[in-house]
Amino acid sequence: MTINTLTNFKYTETAHSPGYNRLQRMGRRLWAPMFLMAVMAWPVGFALAIVRANELASASPDPTTVARLGQVVPAVMFIGFLSVFAAVSFAIARILGVFRKGGGDVQEASGRRVLTLKMTAAAKLFVALMAMAMMIIAVAVVLHFVVAGSVDTWSQATIEQWSITLEAVRRIGVAIYLVAIALGLGAIITVLRFQTIRVRQLPSETANG
Amino acid sequence: MTTRLTKEGRPAAGTDYLSETRHRKLGFTLALAGLILAVVAFVANVAAAGLIGDGDEAGASSVLAWSFGLTTTAFGTIKLAIGIVLIGILVRLWLRVEAVKVALAGLKPQAEARVVTGDTSTPYGRAVAGREVPKPLPIHTMARRLWKPMLAMGYMAVVAGLVTSLVWSADEASTAAAAWTQGLQFLGEGLLLAGISFLLGTILGSLREGGGEVQEALGLTVKTLKMPTTAKVFIGLMALGVMAAMLQFVLYLVVAGGVDNTAAWFAWLGPLREVSLGLILSGVVMALVTIGNVLGFQFDRIKEIVTTGN
Repeated sequence: MTINTLTNFKYTETAHSPGYNRLQRMGRRLWAPMFLMAVMAWPVGFALAIVRANELASASPDPTTVARLGQVVPAVMFIGFLSVFAAVSFAIARILGVFRKGGGDVQEASGRRVLTLKMTAAAKLFVALMAMAMMIIAVAVVLHFVVAGSVDTWSQATIEQWSITLEAVRRIGVAIYLVAIALGLGAIITVLRFQTIRVRQLPSETANG
Repeated sequence: MTTRLTKEGRPAAGTDYLSETRHRKLGFTLALAGLILAVVAFVANVAAAGLIGDGDEAGASSVLAWSFGLTTTAFGTIKLAIGIVLIGILVRLWLRVEAVKVALAGLKPQAEARVVTGDTSTPYGRAVAGREVPKPLPIHTMARRLWKPMLAMGYMAVVAGLVTSLVWSADEASTAAAAWTQGLQFLGEGLLLAGISFLLGTILGSLREGGGEVQEALGLTVKTLKMPTTAKVFIGLMALGVMAAMLQFVLYLVVAGGVDNTAAWFAWLGPLREVSLGLILSGVVMALVTIGNVLGFQFDRIKEIVTTGN
């Protein structure tokens, strides 16, 4: 007799392991390039910040250079943050993929039905918020470069207004990214619960053929 | 269902594997609260940009001071939420260990148990085979002990920074209040991320111990992955990041004590504190990648036991 305790879950039933889905394959491929981009961006951003600090500390700081670097430094630093948060998200998607493939493989190897949890609402929201956060930060980064290119034509007040607004945009992007990560990790809890219940069912279920 | 963790980081005896634990919902609720705080700070920042347009520099600075404190508190709150969700994962991993132990005893084909020892190669890296559950590595013991104080101290520092941001807002020209706020809050953020890293380390320790327990209970060869390079990089990046977070705090205190050319100091201290968080976050990526590899190894091992009985 099979203990029917999976009624609260939406799942698919197949004869074979479903393997990774598209997003999980993407996660497997992209975490490493994103990670590399992040660790390359921060040293560049920090070096530019030192250049700006030196300019500010000099006897006659050039206001254009200071203002320009004031835009370029956060832009480069946030290329790093955009990349590292993407790497974290892709690494979470990769873990979800391991559960999906591994869970399917074990059920298939045992000769039982392969039940796979459908993408949960938290996982869908994780993907949507991650994409949204990535775009928000990317837009802020691009606009920082636009402002950096306009420092010699715009007034100081205008540049300051842009700086404050873009800082706000970057921060909200980070907050959304962090919420997406919490949701992605929450999806792992659901997968673990589903698989724990399913693995307990396996011995009492008749093997196929 | 409330699930308490024992000193060893396991769910208390009698925890029902069928029930939903509260960590997920609590984590999501806290993350939402953090997001709401971030939205409030976002609106305040946009309003401050408007004040600059109206020529009210002092008013804008005042708003920017408290909105900085609020934004960082929002980040801290969401990181705390992530920590709570990770505790939920830890609880669920141990419930899974018990489930796999019970299920494998019924699924494993009858075969003469052959225990082999020594080093072995797997698609997931080098592994060691033995008869018993491997002892926890020092980093696992350390992680198990430190995640809680790190999360607690981190959040306290962030909240203390929120209070100093109000002082800064009341006297927007105060360099000391600005330095204390930034230093304290980013030390807090660093400690919160360190707490998250230690929780990930605890999860890795539990995977190692739990995997060993399952194999030992069945009287099989206990195969355990050796510490992979990604795990070593994780520890290195986290240590570097935490040291940088402490360094930036000390340097902000130097600024609070009074230095020449505060603007120049702030110009490089801001990116330094971001680098510190970036390093810890990079470590988190490595930890997650390691968890993925260990899980892949364990699924392969379960499959091997189910098909060969050994």
